Amino acid sequence: MEKQGNEFLEVKNLCVEYTSDKKIVHAVNGISFTMKKGETLAIVGETGAGKTTLAKTIMRILPDPPAKIREGEVWLDGENLLEKPEKEMTEIRGKKVAMIFQDPMTALNPVKTVGSQIVDCYLLHGYSNKDEACKKAKEMLELVGIPVTRFGEYPFQFSGGMKQRVVIAMALACNPELILADEPTTALDVTIQAQVIGLINDLKKQYSASMILITHDLGVVAQTSDRVIVVYAGTVVEAGERNDVFLNPSHPYTKGLFSSLPSMDKKVRRLTPIEGLPADPTNLPSGCPFHPRCPQSTEKCRQGQMPVVELEPGHFCACCNLKHGGTADE
Amino acid sequence: MCRYIIRRLLTMILILVASAFLIFTLLYFTPADPADAQLGISATWAEKEALRETLGLNRPYAVQLGEFMYNTFIKFDFGKSWTYGTPVFGELMTRIPRTLTIGIGAMVINLAIGILMGIFAGVHAGKWQDSLVMCILMVFIACPNFWVALMLVLLFSAKLNLLPAYGIGGYEYYIMPIIASAVAGIAVNARFMRNSIVEVFRADYITTARAKGMKEKLVIYKEMLPNALMPTITNMGRILSGIIAGAPVIESVFSIPGVGNYLLTAINQRDYPTVRACVLFLALCVSLIMLAVDLAYAAIDPRIRAQFSKGGR
Repeated sequence: MEKQGNEFLEVKNLCVEYTSDKKIVHAVNGISFTMKKGETLAIVGETGAGKTTLAKTIMRILPDPPAKIREGEVWLDGENLLEKPEKEMTEIRGKKVAMIFQDPMTALNPVKTVGSQIVDCYLLHGYSNKDEACKKAKEMLELVGIPVTRFGEYPFQFSGGMKQRVVIAMALACNPELILADEPTTALDVTIQAQVIGLINDLKKQYSASMILITHDLGVVAQTSDRVIVVYAGTVVEAGERNDVFLNPSHPYTKGLFSSLPSMDKKVRRLTPIEGLPADPTNLPSGCPFHPRCPQSTEKCRQGQMPVVELEPGHFCACCNLKHGGTADE
Repeated sequence: MCRYIIRRLLTMILILVASAFLIFTLLYFTPADPADAQLGISATWAEKEALRETLGLNRPYAVQLGEFMYNTFIKFDFGKSWTYGTPVFGELMTRIPRTLTIGIGAMVINLAIGILMGIFAGVHAGKWQDSLVMCILMVFIACPNFWVALMLVLLFSAKLNLLPAYGIGGYEYYIMPIIASAVAGIAVNARFMRNSIVEVFRADYITTARAKGMKEKLVIYKEMLPNALMPTITNMGRILSGIIAGAPVIESVFSIPGVGNYLLTAINQRDYPTVRACVLFLALCVSLIMLAVDLAYAAIDPRIRAQFSKGGR
């Protein structure tokens, strides 16, 4: 039994960097967060904010070289995954932690049948009988809404949405406790997005799994998640319950994200963007990484680490212009 | 699938007719005179003229070409060797197995060693293992096959007295010719393999396989290999054609009475029927190899298989 207060997943001060052409890309810079069992945690941020790197670090499937985990800990159910030997890690991957990938078009092996790719999951984790694994895989395929008759077909005969269903089937095959969904709907068109999100949500409930949902779609976050972490340039800028973050966005970056959304009830001629470009991860600005683009930046923002302010219980924000209680420090 | 193979075999006939036409025409317009080569410089003009008459060389180009094509493709008669007076076809039949033994043996070694070295280098891309393999391959590709053959003879026959230096007999006679023919191909294959492994290594579906909890060895052999083999197989056709076409050199170094050696002597003697038959045999080999390569492609890649069965290609 889980002890009360004992977190299911805890990521502590994780730093990951890539080396390319003698430049160091600081992808993840001291991300920490915790997660309870059964929770859906959304990680939101723009392209290049280090979201995928974070997920791959938890799975330990980063390509090394060029990626290097410089420091940090990832505790899952009381075990530090980053210190596990590779052999034990292969047993955890796919069984305890599974990942749904971003691009279904390239996530399936083009020369193997869809069925055999799902069967692999069962054969790798506990099923030695091939017939039984096939039976299980067929059930799984039905569950994600693909007729069993297509079991022996190849990925190129499937549409994007169907491929993503197969990827989901593969991830959920062994009943994982933690699902890392890395932008599962980015490559799909809107109608299929809704179906896939619905599917993931249903299956998550059915298997009572926890999920980390990585996305840059705030709509998806609103629909599915319990808690939200906003990531910018590899650091957490804001974290909290979904409602807290959505109703009271406090970090200038989060505010910018929300104000750049088109509104349904007001007639808006132009969207409000966040000015400037995402921070260059090879040459991060000092102090708060967001300060060059921040409308409220002051001299203080350029120096040192940003203090993490707890605005409301469980709602954190890393900004030096905020005080406890959430009012701007003017 | 079956229809595809039949269609390819029919095109092969066209290819053979075209090469027959080409080799005949090229030989016809070669300035050297077969009568000179056969009889030597001491022969009189009358003797040469008589020989030309018996060989039918005095007739017009079109007549000679027509007769050659008729004999070859309708009567399957390749004529008699002008030098030896024996039927070319029979001679070829006794020689073909020797050439094929060397060719196929070299191909197997090529594929096996080339692919393994390529995988090893590709998996360790950028590390010292990669550089080491690349250095070895550089040496392999820089060594011409006849030189390798001579060095092998020096070492294994002259110094160590382990293997026979020339001729034919048991399997031990084929070891050195096979190695000498394979060396350059190993290098090419391994480099192709390395590059495609490097490409596939970072592919998303490989990450998927790892995320399933597959062990790295399995990932390499079950997920990467089938995908990475494509360029190597495409290239295999070229290498194999190279081995078959390079047969004259290797066979003359080791004095093996194969097709290559036969062709080489025939060229020197202006023994046209032999030259034509040998060239046709080589053309047949190359087309069959190309067909085999395409079929191997289909066997590995379901996308190409689907194209074949639709008749799209």
